[in-house]
Amino acid sequence: MFKQYKGLWILLATALALFVAVSFMDEAPTLFGHQMKQAKFAEVLTAEPEPEPAAVDTAKQAAEAARKAAEPDTMPKTILLIGDSMLDGLSPRMSAYAQFNGHKLYSVIWYSSTTEVWGTRDKLRHYIGTLKPDYIFISLGGNELFVKDIKEKRAKYVDNILKDIGNIPFIWIGPPNWKPDTGINDLVCSKVGNGRFFLSKDLTFERKKDGAHPTNASAAVWLDSVMRWMPGHAEHPIKMNVPPADMKARPERIFIHQPSEI
Amino acid sequence: MLPLNIFDNILHQLTYIKDEPMIFSSGVFWVLFLIFLPIYAALKNRKRQMMVFVIGFSLFFYYKSSGLFVLMLLGTSVMDWVMSRLMVKTEVRWKRRLCLWASLLTSLGILAYFKYANFFMWNFRQMVGGNFEPMDIILPVGISFYTFQSVSYIIDVYKGRVAPTKTWGDYAFFLTFFPALVAGPIVRADYFIPQLEKNQHATRDMVYMGFWLILLGIVKKAIVADYLAQYNDLVFMVDPETGVPGYSGFETLMGLVGYTMQIYCDFSGYSDMAIGLALIMGFKLAQNFNFPYKARNLTDFWRRWHISLSTWLRDYIYIPLGGNRKGKRRTYVNNFTTMVIGGLWHGAAWKYVIWGALHGGGLMVHKACKPYLGQVADTWPVKAFSWAITFLFVMFTFMVFRADTFADAITLTGHIITDFDIAYAIPFASVRWLWLIILGVIVGSHILPTNFWGKAAAWFVRSPWIVKLLLFVVVIQLVLELQGEDVAPFIYFQF
Repeated sequence: MFKQYKGLWILLATALALFVAVSFMDEAPTLFGHQMKQAKFAEVLTAEPEPEPAAVDTAKQAAEAARKAAEPDTMPKTILLIGDSMLDGLSPRMSAYAQFNGHKLYSVIWYSSTTEVWGTRDKLRHYIGTLKPDYIFISLGGNELFVKDIKEKRAKYVDNILKDIGNIPFIWIGPPNWKPDTGINDLVCSKVGNGRFFLSKDLTFERKKDGAHPTNASAAVWLDSVMRWMPGHAEHPIKMNVPPADMKARPERIFIHQPSEI
Repeated sequence: MLPLNIFDNILHQLTYIKDEPMIFSSGVFWVLFLIFLPIYAALKNRKRQMMVFVIGFSLFFYYKSSGLFVLMLLGTSVMDWVMSRLMVKTEVRWKRRLCLWASLLTSLGILAYFKYANFFMWNFRQMVGGNFEPMDIILPVGISFYTFQSVSYIIDVYKGRVAPTKTWGDYAFFLTFFPALVAGPIVRADYFIPQLEKNQHATRDMVYMGFWLILLGIVKKAIVADYLAQYNDLVFMVDPETGVPGYSGFETLMGLVGYTMQIYCDFSGYSDMAIGLALIMGFKLAQNFNFPYKARNLTDFWRRWHISLSTWLRDYIYIPLGGNRKGKRRTYVNNFTTMVIGGLWHGAAWKYVIWGALHGGGLMVHKACKPYLGQVADTWPVKAFSWAITFLFVMFTFMVFRADTFADAITLTGHIITDFDIAYAIPFASVRWLWLIILGVIVGSHILPTNFWGKAAAWFVRSPWIVKLLLFVVVIQLVLELQGEDVAPFIYFQF
């Protein structure tokens, strides 16, 4: 009885074998110079079911950073806020902080972006070159919570991002985990240092329907937490007094990049 | 060497994971279907064993998407079947009615609790005043679809239109049939159960026609709808504090056009996959979408859009209310009421009720104008005008459907009018060219003559095996290339 299904079954099995095999390759094949995306079979099959507790020790982080904490820089800044879709929630509140404290804010939202995307394109260099920011906030990592072997795969891209930033002071806002990650928080923290990394994973968020993004109200509270953390812990704190909760403001300009530009 | 936790991960993939329902375009389903197919084929001639196997697979499919709510599905099937058997054993009218209502109250009671309890309580609290703390209720996946199947079955048995199935297995097979279980089409017993009784074998042509529909469904859902959604999802956001939309009027309008295409591709794509899977198994499910955006009036639109729902609403709400048998005014009221209930079926929120009411009103207007419209010559300009007005109505009512609240829908619609500037077109096209191409493809698919798709399907069925393989691989790779890493929800799962 299997006769009429044989062709279809072999077809589905062949295609499956192909995509599984490609997913286990370290580098995806390229076609006409374009590196093709891999299916997530390998990632799903080899994922650590219960990732080890993050090496980032929040208490230690706080204590170490507090020791190093500097006096806040009260000069007006040109702030560049870059990141993935989490900026939809963070950007409005950041605008309020910027306006309230006399800073100028530019937001660059690149939907679905990752450290790999920012670390292999020249967008960050371009924006730093044209906008001349003297302070940067980064919110990246939400799309990389479950990447296997993340340290091996993404360390070079984080390095590239840091190279692009150069000597400009910055703070990397860690992703708001909705599940344990496979090491993105550890990786970024180890690269940028405790005084420039805000660990968000242990915060409690109210999420949008997609279960991943914090609601706008929750994202505002999230940013308030970053700003409360900054004076005592950041290597280079800037003046960020808390604006009224209902303060409305917009960035000087918002730049949007779509996943298709990846 | 493979890590040792690979078996744990496989096991994890086979257990219920909250907010990760198993969909036909997922890798897990692909693997499971490869296991399912040879066993199904081997058991096809032993009908009872085949049925046990398919019911088991369907229940697992539902468990994977909804966890222990699978027990509720089982309970509904037992209740319906027992009541239908009791119903035919007696001639006494009140006893038959008792059986009918016992079954209906069970099915609709469960639906009302899980889907509408918070909505009705919130409205009650609004009327009488006081605080409202919503109950923490999880909506079981696909509950609206299988409840409507359950209701139609028990009513048809009561009315004598369908004989009750002899065994619970026959009924459970119908109610839990996995291709249509979580997102339709809403299957009717009088259409499906005779096919089960015949237990027809799928021919080679049916198998590949089914595969063609699955491919088409993947293209619509996982490529077109999911890609369009990446932009559309941004546009409908209104800042809850300032009440200001984040995009210009032109961009908002494009988002609305995009959403109109997205919702069609999302749902009709899933329907195509369901119909295709059933066809591979030897079962024919009725067409659920028939190029709805070709419609030239609203009545025609509802004959083409979500056909299994609109025929269900016609047969179990509109006609029992009196249909068109009780005079003009009553016909309008029945039409309107049916559409409001149809709107509420889509979700427990006033915006869905309003969406249904708008369509109900539109249908009333069309019915009232029909005698006059019939006198107008059916020339090209008239056809173009009637098409445009229908499409615009459908599109702008989708604004109510998609925006978070009705107030947001008003704000966004107003924004399209007051903040419209065509100067945005060029920068928009330069940044979102791929989005526009994909939108163009789906618009183009509506412009092509309908028989083109029949010819394409026939060509695919006859094409060499290697061509089919290549097409499948290309489609899957396109899905991988275009998918965002952000979550892409399935629009109709929530219903």
